[in-house]
Amino acid sequence: MAFRFIDTTPGSTARRFVISGAWWFVAGGVVGLTAATELVAPDLIGARVLIFPRIRPVHVNTIVFFFLSMMLIGAMLYAVCRLARRPLYSEKMGNVAMWIWNFSVLAGLLTIPAGFTTSHEYGEYVFPISVAIIVAIFMLTINVFQTLARRAEQLLYVTNWYAVGAFTATLIVFFFGKVMWHPKTSAMVGINDAEWAWFYGHNVFGTWITPLALGLAYFWVPREADNPLYSHAISLLGFWPYFAFYLQVGTHHLIEAPAQPWLKLIAEVNSVGLLIPVYAFLTNQWMTLRGRWWKIPDSVVLKFIFAGTIMYFFTSSEGTIEALPSFERIAHFTNVTVGHAHLGLLGFAGFIACGAGYGVLREMYGEIWSERLAQLQYWLMLIGIIGFTFVLTSVGLLQGLAWRNGETVYRVLPEIFSYYVERGVFGCFILTGAGIQVYNFLKTVYARRRRSEEEFFGLERAAAAPAALTGMAGD
Amino acid sequence: MGMTPRSVALGIALIATFAAWAVLFLPGLSAPNSPSNIVRPYTPLEREGRVLYIKSGCIGCHTQYVRPTDWDYSDLRVSQRGDYIYDRPHLLGSERTGPDLSQEGGQHSDDWNLAHFEDPRFVRPASIMPRFSFFTRQQMQAIIAYVQCLGFKMADERMARQIHWHRRLLAAYRHGEDYNATYLAKLVPRQWMTMPNPYAATQGSVQRGKFVYQQMCIFCHGPVGDGNGPAARYLNPKPMNFTLLKRHRWSGGMIYYQVMNGITGSAMPYFKEDLESAKIWDVANYVAVNFIGRNVDSGNDLNGIPASREGAIPGTKPLVPGAGTKAPVPGPARKVYPQRPSSSPQPASTPAAPGGRSQRH
Repeated sequence: MAFRFIDTTPGSTARRFVISGAWWFVAGGVVGLTAATELVAPDLIGARVLIFPRIRPVHVNTIVFFFLSMMLIGAMLYAVCRLARRPLYSEKMGNVAMWIWNFSVLAGLLTIPAGFTTSHEYGEYVFPISVAIIVAIFMLTINVFQTLARRAEQLLYVTNWYAVGAFTATLIVFFFGKVMWHPKTSAMVGINDAEWAWFYGHNVFGTWITPLALGLAYFWVPREADNPLYSHAISLLGFWPYFAFYLQVGTHHLIEAPAQPWLKLIAEVNSVGLLIPVYAFLTNQWMTLRGRWWKIPDSVVLKFIFAGTIMYFFTSSEGTIEALPSFERIAHFTNVTVGHAHLGLLGFAGFIACGAGYGVLREMYGEIWSERLAQLQYWLMLIGIIGFTFVLTSVGLLQGLAWRNGETVYRVLPEIFSYYVERGVFGCFILTGAGIQVYNFLKTVYARRRRSEEEFFGLERAAAAPAALTGMAGD
Repeated sequence: MGMTPRSVALGIALIATFAAWAVLFLPGLSAPNSPSNIVRPYTPLEREGRVLYIKSGCIGCHTQYVRPTDWDYSDLRVSQRGDYIYDRPHLLGSERTGPDLSQEGGQHSDDWNLAHFEDPRFVRPASIMPRFSFFTRQQMQAIIAYVQCLGFKMADERMARQIHWHRRLLAAYRHGEDYNATYLAKLVPRQWMTMPNPYAATQGSVQRGKFVYQQMCIFCHGPVGDGNGPAARYLNPKPMNFTLLKRHRWSGGMIYYQVMNGITGSAMPYFKEDLESAKIWDVANYVAVNFIGRNVDSGNDLNGIPASREGAIPGTKPLVPGAGTKAPVPGPARKVYPQRPSSSPQPASTPAAPGGRSQRH
């Protein structure tokens, strides 16, 4: 089959998003590993565009906006269609959004090392690229809403709530947070700018990455476990408070910066409050698995997603603790934060994205090319992320306590050197996993016959979806 | 109203708008940007350097605010909201892979900064900062101007001192290295010139001093202490050549004073933030024993509590023949407390002074 730039066959948008995401995982991983190596050997690459400070934002943005966003969008589009029992409203629009997204990433990969950056964390892309991404999100939002408006299944399952919530909130957050009305710098002045930047910076996860991943967990866990969702009341408890709390926690990045005290208090209180929806979500997922734990080893999809929920527990609890001033004094500015970010983005969202990605391809092509490779990838990534988090948290506490003891940043550098080496080693595990994933994905796509549209929407697996909806009757 | 796409979208939009009002607009409206007592606008060159700072991604490793809990910055002044009114975008940063820079202006001389950008390991041998030797001359001037303005009026004050002393030191250096050494020594308060190193130049002390020297000093003063490290070619005046100091009968306190406070106007930074007192004395011992070739410690006959850990190892004392014993010690006539044993490595034979460290240690 010839390659078509705009593919209008059902499912093509979801598939292309997922596979693009898998590619960007490898690209972002290579950049990340290079950056990690440069922390050990700063003179490794002399080229001005490849020094650590220039490629660090490339790594962060490639992983957040391209690996995670693309795989999660793809899997979410698939889930939305399955739950609506309708094909996507417009594959054409979806494909255009996919290409815009991919070209933005490429532009980002080139512009940040060249020095075009806003210097806002997670928002380094300059104005035109940000606009392109917002346009793509807008197109996807329309697509999701139109698909849902045409849904054949009247009840709106939890996954769809998260899809709608994520797209709506992200449009608003991006619009305000990127400070779009100042094209030259994308910035306000002084501390105000920091407050706006962190509203955006934290909500990239709060309204975008995390809700998509949570929605996908709600979609795949009941399906894979063959068990109806434990409680829809708890889903509600996990949904509304989640957005209500999360949108206000951005200032906890500035707890000891000269921001207003009341603003910091809002951030701290909401950070603690955030535990309610987090634990509600986890209760719901794990109780759905009750009596079905034996399903986990069998399904690589469930395996990834279950591991993702466990890491969600750790990263969210850690996040709340980090927002408390007493711990923040030690952990802020150190590698504890870096470990936390990796546990959250790779451990939680990344694992769910990989699991859901495998799920999408398995359902589209009947089976994954190699389950064993997928299992190998799971273990490599698991060892990688756990080791990584452990090393970075240890080294972060070491740094924080040494500074509290009056040692300078420079004096602590030789002490943390070996930790940086270990971090690179664990990074290799993760990168190998990413490589296996893209190989496995491509093999699946090219070696397996895609299911026809009738098969796609009429298979026995679809029966799992209404089963998951049984608790919905009272709503 | 059930959970329909419309109700969910509406609810989330309401929440997001409320949150944006509460944590974005309200703080901006409630706290006008009024200047603090140290802030001043950037000059065009500093502004150019700031753009370079942003483009190079320096914010990835360097923060620009001092917190109330930052113990490691001796000139602790907690940053205020008004310090940032000329910053667009803000450069607060979120990681301290490198040190905080909010008060960096004037802490080091311009030539120290030049050497540091050329290769950070020239002046900070354990640094993991990348080299910025690819900067053009203009860019280098701009980035140094920016770094030297951080701290604003406080930085300006420090820079004025740097420039004032730089002229004088250059004039002294032109008279030759020996004159220069004498000139520098005259700047040290008298009591420091006559103060012997309170830590005996034992093997342990010299070893520790060597370690510190390698982490802090080596690429300016050179591995043999002749002031010809790789950084020297960027520095004016050049780093001290220790081997010239032998004929001067200066004490360890002189070295300590210079290491602790640095020499304003030259590239010699102060190390009182990086090094605790004992480590500075150790490095003074190392420099004295290895480069100056004249030991300036307090000698064998300690004047205080003798039950210290530093028992002499047979055959290692004195490290330099005749060293130490002639070091001038101010104060009342010394009572020679029981001699440090010269034959036994164990200090067990010395009676423990009341309250002193016990032998168990």
